[in-house]
Amino acid sequence: MSRAQSRAGSTAPFANVPVYVVALLLTVIVLVPIGFVVLGGFRTTGQIAADPVGLPDPWVTHNYVSVLTSSAFWRQLGNSMIVAAIATGLVVTVSAMAAYPLSRMQFRGREALFVFFTFGLLFPVAVAALPLYLLLRQLGLLESLLGVALPEAAFAIPITIIILRPFMRAIPAELEDAAAMDGCGRFGFFLLVLVPLSQPALVTVTILSVILSWNNFILPLLVLTDPGKWTLPLGVAQYSSEHSADTAAILAFTTLSMVPALLFFLAAQRRIVGGLSGAVKG
Amino acid sequence: MKIWKLLGLAALVTAAATVLLTTTTASAGGKESQTLVWWHNVTQGPGVKLYKDIAAEFQKQHPGITIKAVPLQNEQFKTKIPIALQSDSPPDVFQSWGGGGLVDQQKAGKVADLTKYVKPWIKSIGGTAAGWQVNGKQYAVPYSVGVVGFWYNKQLFKQAGIASAPKTWPQFLAAVAKLKQAGITPIAIGSKDEWPDAFYWDYLATKLCSKPVMQSSAVTYNFGNPCWTKAGEYVQRLLDAGPFQNGFLATPAQQGASSSAGLVANGKAAMELQGHWNPGVMQALTPENKVPSFLGWFPFPNVPGSKAIPGSLLGGGDGYACSWKAPQPACAQFLAYIDSPSVQRRVGSTGFGLPVRKGTENSVKDPNLRTVLKFRSTSPFIQLYLDQAYSAAIGQALNGAIAKQFAGKATPAQVVAQIEAAAKKK
Amino acid sequence: MTTLDGSTAGRAEARPAVVRHRRRWLELGVFLAPAIALYVVFLIVPVVQAVRYSTYDWNGLGALSDYVGLDNYREAFGDPAFRQAMEHNGILVVLSLVFQLPLALGVALVLNRRMRGRGLLRVIFFAPYVLSEAITAVIFLQLLQPDGLVDEVLRGMGLGALVQLWLADLGLVFYTLFVVITWKYIGFAIILFLAGLQGVPDELHEAAAMDGASSWQSLRLVTLPLLGPTIRIWAFLAIIGSIQLFDIVWIMTLGGPAGASSTMATYMVDQGVNSYRIGYATSVAVILFAVCFVFSILYQVFVLRRDVRGGTTRMAG
Repeated sequence: MSRAQSRAGSTAPFANVPVYVVALLLTVIVLVPIGFVVLGGFRTTGQIAADPVGLPDPWVTHNYVSVLTSSAFWRQLGNSMIVAAIATGLVVTVSAMAAYPLSRMQFRGREALFVFFTFGLLFPVAVAALPLYLLLRQLGLLESLLGVALPEAAFAIPITIIILRPFMRAIPAELEDAAAMDGCGRFGFFLLVLVPLSQPALVTVTILSVILSWNNFILPLLVLTDPGKWTLPLGVAQYSSEHSADTAAILAFTTLSMVPALLFFLAAQRRIVGGLSGAVKG
Repeated sequence: MKIWKLLGLAALVTAAATVLLTTTTASAGGKESQTLVWWHNVTQGPGVKLYKDIAAEFQKQHPGITIKAVPLQNEQFKTKIPIALQSDSPPDVFQSWGGGGLVDQQKAGKVADLTKYVKPWIKSIGGTAAGWQVNGKQYAVPYSVGVVGFWYNKQLFKQAGIASAPKTWPQFLAAVAKLKQAGITPIAIGSKDEWPDAFYWDYLATKLCSKPVMQSSAVTYNFGNPCWTKAGEYVQRLLDAGPFQNGFLATPAQQGASSSAGLVANGKAAMELQGHWNPGVMQALTPENKVPSFLGWFPFPNVPGSKAIPGSLLGGGDGYACSWKAPQPACAQFLAYIDSPSVQRRVGSTGFGLPVRKGTENSVKDPNLRTVLKFRSTSPFIQLYLDQAYSAAIGQALNGAIAKQFAGKATPAQVVAQIEAAAKKK
Repeated sequence: MTTLDGSTAGRAEARPAVVRHRRRWLELGVFLAPAIALYVVFLIVPVVQAVRYSTYDWNGLGALSDYVGLDNYREAFGDPAFRQAMEHNGILVVLSLVFQLPLALGVALVLNRRMRGRGLLRVIFFAPYVLSEAITAVIFLQLLQPDGLVDEVLRGMGLGALVQLWLADLGLVFYTLFVVITWKYIGFAIILFLAGLQGVPDELHEAAAMDGASSWQSLRLVTLPLLGPTIRIWAFLAIIGSIQLFDIVWIMTLGGPAGASSTMATYMVDQGVNSYRIGYATSVAVILFAVCFVFSILYQVFVLRRDVRGGTTRMAG
C-alpha cells in the first residue's frame, strides 16, 4: 500500500529509448488482433475478403447496429451479468469466510483442509460434466441461471482461497489483539477489521471471478438449452455458426461481447496489482 | 382491525374460488394437453421457416398437442443428447442419423419402438427406412435422405478441357490431372473436420467391396477382407496426385468463405465430394446468397473390375426418433406428419432436403438435387456413411485413422489396423 | 475490565476452558461451513462420481455397466495418441518456462519504470487475458488463414518468405498455438511480476550501485532473488495451466490435424464427446488430475516451502 507508492519507478537498469521502442513493439503485437476484430465490424464481409489488412472504407455501421438492436444480444448480456453477479458474490463471500480461519487460526487439519481446497484447481470441469448435470437435474436447477452460478462458484473457490489466504495472513496480529480488547469477537474482527483491510485482495478475486464466470462456456452449455436463458459465450457460438459466411457480422458480435468484460476490468484494474502483491509476498 | 380481517377473508375466498373455477373448467373442457419437446438442428437456411410452419400446422390439426421446438447447433447435439438421455426428462422428439448410433440408443432402451405406429405408412418412404431400423424394427424415421457425390464447377471443367464428367476411376484421376495442368485447384476438402476425408475412403470401400462384405462389417466389425486395404491404396493414389487446396488439413468443411464449400462456391476450386446439403451451405457462403449457376453434380465414379455392384452409393440423411418417455401415439403422429406428402413436398421445394416420401420427388426444384434424388432412388445399394453405420467409438476411430492417412501419417494397412483395434475394444 | 456491551470477550480467564473450546469450534464451523458445503456438493461429489465412471467401459447411455477395473488406465498409457498428447503437454510446459518467463519479466521491468502512459500500458497488456478463450480462438483463426492478415502483413514487410501454413503444417501447428496462448496469458504474468517488483525497494538498487554494481549485476543479484517468490507462484500456475490446456486448442484445431496439436484434455474430450467413451474419458481425466496433483505436491514441498517459511520475503516485507 504505502510501499507500492514509494516503488513508483526504479531508475535501474535500462536506458530510456530502447525501452520505449520495445514497449511500442509489444503494444502493437498485443493490440493488432484486437484492433482487427473491432475495426472488422465496421467493414463489410466483401471488404474483408477483398483486402484482409485494410481499414474500413467506407465505414459501415450496420453490423454493430444489428447486434445492438437484437433483443437476443441484450438478453444474453443480462443473463451473463446475473450469473456473474451471483457466482462472484457467492464465491467471494464464502471464500473470505473460509480464508480467515485458514490463515489466522490454528486448528488441527488446517493445512490438510487447505490442500483439500486446492484439489479443485487440478480437475478440469469438462469431466465432471455428466455427474454434475445429473446432480443439477435432481436439485431442479437445470435451465436456471442459478444452476450455472452455483457450480461456477464452487470451481472458483480454490483460486480465490489461494489468493486470499496469504493476504489475510499478512495482517498484523496486533490488530487482532486490539480488536479483542475492544470487545470484538471473531465475527466482529472479521467484518470490521479483516475485510476492510483485505480490500485489494478482495477486489482482485472479484475481478478474476467475474472474468472466469463471464467467459465460461461449458457450464452454460450443459445447463441451459432454452435460448432465452443463454449467456454471451453461447450466443457468440450460435451467432458464428448461423452467420458463418458473414465474417464482418461475427467480428461485430465478438467485439460487443468483449466490451462489458473489458469495461469492468478497466474500472477495477488498479486494484489487481495491489491485490496480487499481497498474495505474492505471502 | 376487524374490517381488515373481513376484507382479507373475502379476498382469500375470491382467490380460492377463481382458482377452483378455472381449474375445473380446464379439466372439464377438452382432454388433457400434451407437450412434445422437439430438439432439432435447423438453425439457419430455408429450413427455419419450414420448421416453424410444421409446428404450427401440426398443433392446429391436433389441438390437444403442443410442440415446443428447441433448435440446437449441430455440433452441440453430440454433447447434449447423451446427457439428456441419461436424465428422466429427455426431449420427446430428437434428431437421429440412424445406423450404429441408433443401435446404441436402442440397446440402452432410450428410444421408442415405433413399428406398430408407422405400419400404415412406412412403405411409402421405401428403402430409406432401413437405415433407421434395428433388428428389423423401426426405431426412428428419416425425413430427408441423400447420397454423397461430386459437386463441381462446370465452367472450370470446360476451361481445363474436360469434355464430360468422369464415370470411372481412371477417368476421374485423368480429370484431376487436367485441372492441375490448367492451374485450377482440382478438389476442395474440409480436412479439419475429418469426416470429409472419410467420404473418400468410405466410397472406395463401397466401390471395391461386395455388398455382403459392407453390410456385415457393421455387425461383425470384421475388416479382414483385402478390399478394405485396397480402398486405402486407391485413396493413396489420389492423395499422391496432390489434388487439394493449399493448407487443406486446416480447412473446415462449412464454416466461412474459406471453408471447402466456400472455395467451390466462389470459384476457387473445381469440385468437392459432399452430401446433398451442400448447395444450401454454398448458397450462404456466396456474396449474392445464391446457389452458383455453374454448379453441377456427378456421382462417384465406379471402379472397373471390382466386386461391388456398379452404381453403389454412399449416403445418409436425417430422421427423428422418439425417446422412451415420449407420449404415444402423439410422438409417432408428429413423425408421421413430418413424412406426410404436404410437408415432404416442402422439404423438397424449399431446397431444405431430399424428401423420402414416394411421389414427392418432383417437388425438388434445383436441377442438381433432382439428379441426386434420381440416383438415390435408382441405386442398387446405398451404404450409410461408415462413421454413422458403425457405433460411435469405432466410427470416430475410423475417421481419425483416415485423417492420419490424409496427413501422411498412416499407410492403407495401418488405417485398417487402427479400425480393427478400435473394434476389438468393444 | 468489562466492555460497554457487558461482554467479557478477550478475557481468556473469564470462561471455563471447555466452553471456550466448544465455542471456538462452533465459530470455526460457521466460517468454514458455507465454503465446504458449496465446494463438496458442486465439485467434489461430481468429481468422485466421475472417477467411479473411469472403472467402467461405459458409453454414457443406459445404466452404468461393463466394469473393467483399471483397464481404461492401461489402455490410455498404451495408446500412442495419448502419449503424443502427453508429450505435447510436456513441450508446452518447457516452452512456457523458457519463453514466457523472460518475456514477461522483461516487459514487467520495463513497465516498472516511471514512464508516461504506464497505467494505460498495463491495461493494454492485460486485455487479452480478459477475453474469453473462444473469442481469442475465433480471432486468431481469422488472422491465421492462408493469405489472411498475418500472411499479408509479413508480405507487406518484405518477409513473404516466412509465410507458412500456420495451422495446416503438422510440424508447425503446435508452435503456432503456443504463440496464441502466449499472447493471451502473458498479461497475467506481467501483472503478477509487476506486483512482485513493487516489493523490491529502490534503496537496494541504489546501495548496489554505490557498491559499484552494473545494471545487469543489480538485476541478477538484487531484483531476481527478491522476485523469486513471485516467479515461483507464476510458474506453478503456468504449469498447471499448460497441463490442462483445452479451449483454445479445441476451437482452433480440434487437436489436429491428425493429433498434431493434441493435449491430454482435447484427447479426453474427443474420447468422451465424439466417441461416447465416457468411462475411458474420465480415466484420462483422473490421469490428468493425478499428474497435476503429484506435480503440485512436489512443487509445494521442494520449491514453495522456502517462500512460505518467510526467508527473503521478511526482508522486503
